[in-house]
Amino acid sequence: MFKVVRQIINEQISHWDLILRMAKFDVKGKYEIHYLGSLWEYINPSIQIAIYWFVFGLGLRQGAPIGDIPFFLWMLMGLIPWFFISPTLLQGSNSVHSKVALVSKMNFPTSVLPTVKIVSNSYKFFTMMAILLIVLIAYGIYPSIYIIQLVYYVICLFAFLFAFTIMSSTLSTLVRDYQMFLQSTMRMLLYLSPILWDTSRLPIPALENILKLNPFFYIIQGIRDSLIGGKWFFEDPIYLVYFWMLTFAILFFGSKAHLRFRKNFMDYL
Amino acid sequence: MKLKVELNNVYKSFLMRGNQYEKLLELFSIQKKHKKNQKEFLAVRNLTFKVYEGESVGIIGLNGSGKSTLSNLLAQVIQPTSGNINIDGETSLIAISAGLNNNLSGYDNIEQKCMMHGIPKENIEKLKPEIIEFADIGDYIYQPVKNYSSGMRSRLGFAIAVHTDPDILIIDEALSVGDSTFADKSLQKMNEFKKRGKTLFFVSHSAAQVRKFCDKALWIHYGELKAFGETDEVAKQYQDFVTWFNQLPQIEKNNYKREQLASQKVPYIKNKSKLQKETNSSSEWVINLFVALPVLVLGLLVVLGW
Repeated sequence: MFKVVRQIINEQISHWDLILRMAKFDVKGKYEIHYLGSLWEYINPSIQIAIYWFVFGLGLRQGAPIGDIPFFLWMLMGLIPWFFISPTLLQGSNSVHSKVALVSKMNFPTSVLPTVKIVSNSYKFFTMMAILLIVLIAYGIYPSIYIIQLVYYVICLFAFLFAFTIMSSTLSTLVRDYQMFLQSTMRMLLYLSPILWDTSRLPIPALENILKLNPFFYIIQGIRDSLIGGKWFFEDPIYLVYFWMLTFAILFFGSKAHLRFRKNFMDYL
Repeated sequence: MKLKVELNNVYKSFLMRGNQYEKLLELFSIQKKHKKNQKEFLAVRNLTFKVYEGESVGIIGLNGSGKSTLSNLLAQVIQPTSGNINIDGETSLIAISAGLNNNLSGYDNIEQKCMMHGIPKENIEKLKPEIIEFADIGDYIYQPVKNYSSGMRSRLGFAIAVHTDPDILIIDEALSVGDSTFADKSLQKMNEFKKRGKTLFFVSHSAAQVRKFCDKALWIHYGELKAFGETDEVAKQYQDFVTWFNQLPQIEKNNYKREQLASQKVPYIKNKSKLQKETNSSSEWVINLFVALPVLVLGLLVVLGW
């Protein structure tokens, strides 16, 4: 029944070694021409963190903490996953379009291209998460038992990115306008996720529930819950099932579209 | 001798679209009364030929006659609109824009391309010095490919492609930018290929080059197979045609071209659409619904704050 999903996943597994090695070259090629090299991977986000903290933390909140967590840390727990999500999603969606001319001449499954982007960006993500943990401890926020569910939410994050980039790399190759649309949407989602401001303070609770439809809401809130502690992932079963059903549906329709159109990708360039 | 490549009534057409919007409609195969003047362009039409193991075939023709379309079809980069292509073995296409990563050095490109061809790591290490020696571009091998001259680029591309050991090698005018010393070296390599029973396609608009490299020639003229056979014979026909064409007055030349191009434009017929339409059976709709419906229901529950 879900043959297409199985096929896409099998292609990832059987080419896993290739994915890792291509990711290595991807990282290498990106900063080869810059003097500061891969240092830019950290300089860029640091500048953004400083700006957001200045505007939202000092400017709008006058440095007031959220609960008993300083705003700066609260924001970091959302921004660091976002610095992984946003570029990976956009690059992953563009990956087939930008590489198809190169790989279609070979016996090479295009479905691994988005995964290569996810893997190549995740090195940076894991480093930044490690830095975040160190910063938290330096501020005296020690990890509790809740930290173990971080593994679960990171799995959620990767599963969703995988499903979404399979679908959207196909769409983006067929209809170029989609990539533009996605860029604007991602810019919008930064403000519609609990990253820079506390959504629970909205005057109408139903508004927050609408924001919760955004799957990144689930992931970012979950990661924050694991770091601060206080809430288990199974405490909200409806939201959990919603997230996974959505991920599966995207993977299902994405795999279907990918397998149907991939022979003709070159015709749409 | 073993049959390597077989083409049966192969057509490749490109829809001459008015705008992006029509492309979108076509993509989702939305039934729409297409305009009467909708045309499609037959880049290649009714190609039928067989190529055996160990043969080297030159593909000649004027600019825009469909040579590159044919080489892309042979490399399985694009799919035919109708007809079928049977290829026994791995193909490798070398074109001037050889698909190298511009930001990486030549050295890294060697590794990446070999890797993408599915060559195991140990073999890549063994191949690297051979490829570097064959490409013969000196210390530039450690420079990013974007600093290469077009000659260096095609040398590297050619060197990698021949060392990945394909069964069928398609060379799309890649050698025309190399100098004669490199061309000789390539010729040697290609002869070695033929001896090992591999099949070669060599795309060129120059009959002289084809004479030098190939046993057989295929003349493709405005999308049609004009002649296929021994190189000398076909090359002679082609050269006779070129001489005849060149002595025509300019007006007649233009008329001739216009007539030929007009014959390639045919009214668009829906059922030849290049997307193989899947029959959406009702059971498939049930599955689609089965996947999509829970998302909607659960989404509603989340909004209602359950």
